[in-house]
Amino acid sequence: MAELGRLAVCLALLFAAYGVLAGLLGGIRRRAHLARSAEHAAYAVLALVVIATVILLRALLRHDFTLEYVAAYSSSTLPTQYTVAALWGGQKGSLLFWSLLLTLFTTVVQVQNRERNRALMPYVTATLMCVAVFFLSLLVFVTDPFERLPVAAREGADLNPLLQNYWMMIHPPSLYTGYVSASVPFAFAIAALASGQLGDQWMRSVRRWALFSWAFLSLGNLLGARWAYEVLGWGGYWAWDPVENAAFMPWLVSTAYLHSVMIQEKRDMLRIWNMVLVLLTFALTIFGTFLTRSGVISSVHSFTQSGLGPFFIGFLLFVLLVAGGLLAYRLPELRTPAVMESFLSREAAFLFNNLVLVGIAFAVFWGTVFPVLSEWVRGVKITVGPPFFNRVNAPLGLVLLFLAGVGPAIAWRRASPRNLRRAFTGPVGAGLAAAAALAVARVPLGYAFATFALGVFVLGTIVQEFWRGMRARQAMLHESAPRALGRLVGKNRRRYGGYLIHVGVVSIFVAIAASNAFRIEAQETLKPGDEMAAGKFRLRYERITSDENAHLSRVAAEVSVWRGGKRIATLAPEKRFYKKPQQPTTEVAMRSTLTEDLYLVLGSYDPPTGLVTLQAYVNPLVSWLWLGGVIMAGGTLVTMWPSAAERRAPAFELGAGRVPAG
Amino acid sequence: MLNRRRFIVGAALIAAAVSYLVYAGIRTTSMYYFELPEFVARRDGLVGETLRVKGWVRQGSVRWDARTSELAFELAAKDGGSPVPVAFHGIRPDMFSEGREVVVEGRYQQGALAARQIMTSCPSKYEPAVAGGAPRAGS
Repeated sequence: MAELGRLAVCLALLFAAYGVLAGLLGGIRRRAHLARSAEHAAYAVLALVVIATVILLRALLRHDFTLEYVAAYSSSTLPTQYTVAALWGGQKGSLLFWSLLLTLFTTVVQVQNRERNRALMPYVTATLMCVAVFFLSLLVFVTDPFERLPVAAREGADLNPLLQNYWMMIHPPSLYTGYVSASVPFAFAIAALASGQLGDQWMRSVRRWALFSWAFLSLGNLLGARWAYEVLGWGGYWAWDPVENAAFMPWLVSTAYLHSVMIQEKRDMLRIWNMVLVLLTFALTIFGTFLTRSGVISSVHSFTQSGLGPFFIGFLLFVLLVAGGLLAYRLPELRTPAVMESFLSREAAFLFNNLVLVGIAFAVFWGTVFPVLSEWVRGVKITVGPPFFNRVNAPLGLVLLFLAGVGPAIAWRRASPRNLRRAFTGPVGAGLAAAAALAVARVPLGYAFATFALGVFVLGTIVQEFWRGMRARQAMLHESAPRALGRLVGKNRRRYGGYLIHVGVVSIFVAIAASNAFRIEAQETLKPGDEMAAGKFRLRYERITSDENAHLSRVAAEVSVWRGGKRIATLAPEKRFYKKPQQPTTEVAMRSTLTEDLYLVLGSYDPPTGLVTLQAYVNPLVSWLWLGGVIMAGGTLVTMWPSAAERRAPAFELGAGRVPAG
Repeated sequence: MLNRRRFIVGAALIAAAVSYLVYAGIRTTSMYYFELPEFVARRDGLVGETLRVKGWVRQGSVRWDARTSELAFELAAKDGGSPVPVAFHGIRPDMFSEGREVVVEGRYQQGALAARQIMTSCPSKYEPAVAGGAPRAGS
């Protein structure tokens, strides 16, 4: 079977290469049949990649340890759900998974555009197939997932225990979905540049794709944070590790694009800038993949040198050269006469939001590659850690939060004093009131203070937008309040969905600020019956327990949690010992509420004496991070949901109608 | 065109602010990162510096007291040469064990590294770690 899998990958590569050539020829010579032929080739690529994936999955599930990949990333005792997750748990499998998603999205794009965008589609297909050729070549020539071991292994080495976790099952697919779907807007941008159809059509066609990619990048980042928080056991959720930065940078640029695209739709400005953002987002996804696989930059996750680095850098350079070349070639046609009229306008707020987002991406990029650069330039490796990223990004984040409040409320073109008064009296008042309340509550002046006050200001503008929209409908159409609110959102999904996303963002900002500024940490070595304090909690170490199964053994410390003389919970932080990759792991025990998480780690234990070292963290408002994620997901759904008009429209017009920008 | 110029000034101000933040951030938070042999060669000039050193935990050198959470070991080159003592107070990381590659972050003083953080690379998610030149699957 494995040989069949390899054959499928090889054939897929051939078809993909044909797709590139046929697409390009079809586009340049304007041969419709060649363009169709390229699309058919892409369908074949999907079919072949599906076959290859199924074969690898089958090998995993059947524990076929004659395959190097299966032996390296699974075992016969690995639970089934993690055996499935092993499909993307290793390098080779993840590259195959990547190819699967890419060809799947290509197919969806082609079905969506069977009757639309016919001038663009040959180039779209060629671009997507070109990316497919890159990934499939890696699978064929560099890291073959169907490689057989010279001698079959009796047992697999098992999946890394740190990855045997619920969040790790869904985090990588989500992130890959975000990464890979960024190829679609990229392909359309390239197609627009190549075909010279530089109007808004390409952009409108990929609006949902851009949002889809952004949404999954957001989700992937949050799930990764959640995984780090639950599994790594250091009390935090984000460490500015290169791997995290790799996923964060495309998210930042993609966020910038989603905002600036509205200025182009509304005012026909920033066409070049938008093009650059789309191209950059894709380049950053490739750069991110490079970062995580090349071992060039040392990371907590040691992605050992795999020899893939040069290929990714080569492909990245190729992408930048082609995209940059096309952009330079079309530059004169992309210029528009429209200019900004005033600093006090929505487009200015969006533009500054863009600059800050790209600025943050730049700072993160710089901090991530600094060790390598300093080694080149000065011959000494100099690293920067979380303090650098926090210092740089905290003030920029505040500016961003402020702009999130300004953008939705300020007028287009030029805000009149009247508009400013009308738009901001309420929200600014709310923000000031919040600041006063915080001062009374003796919250120290600092980033957390500023974040809370600005957060209230942003919420104020959002609530005001909903309120005024609803009141207007009530007054004009005599609708009941809930109905007016429902209709308001339903008729302007993009705008109000966007506001909901902002509510989620505010929640996340507040969570980050609070958990950074007010976290409490305690560590003590205790014997059974001893107590320790952690913030307002008292912790009593009761006893140690242990058990064992075929897959792992564990030791848990039973800890009762007391507050105000009342026992409120029992927590049992664990150490686990996985048997196959003989490795201990830490299982955090948590009591999570809306106000704070009590986060317990069993640091170490000494069986003869029963002594344990407990590490306790009280992390305020961390739940708001996940809550914010859920709100963002809800807002994204509202935004992406097809409107009634779109549903009624014939399929080929889908997405072509212009929805008022938010 | 006055407006365009004003916007370029505004954008330049933001760019300058970001650059300044990056510059100041790097100046105040950056630290050296050495492989152990390089560190040993230059250590006389590094007394009092906070830095990161990558090396291997020397076989037989680990002393761990679970009661006091004191961890002491020697950081050495891959072949065990040129060891430097390391002292750490805190939780012993899961992946910490003899013969493993670690990165120590701490201050170099009195001939030893006072570690404030020990980073153990978690075994690769993507590729089997290579031990002793021979691929060892998935460890």
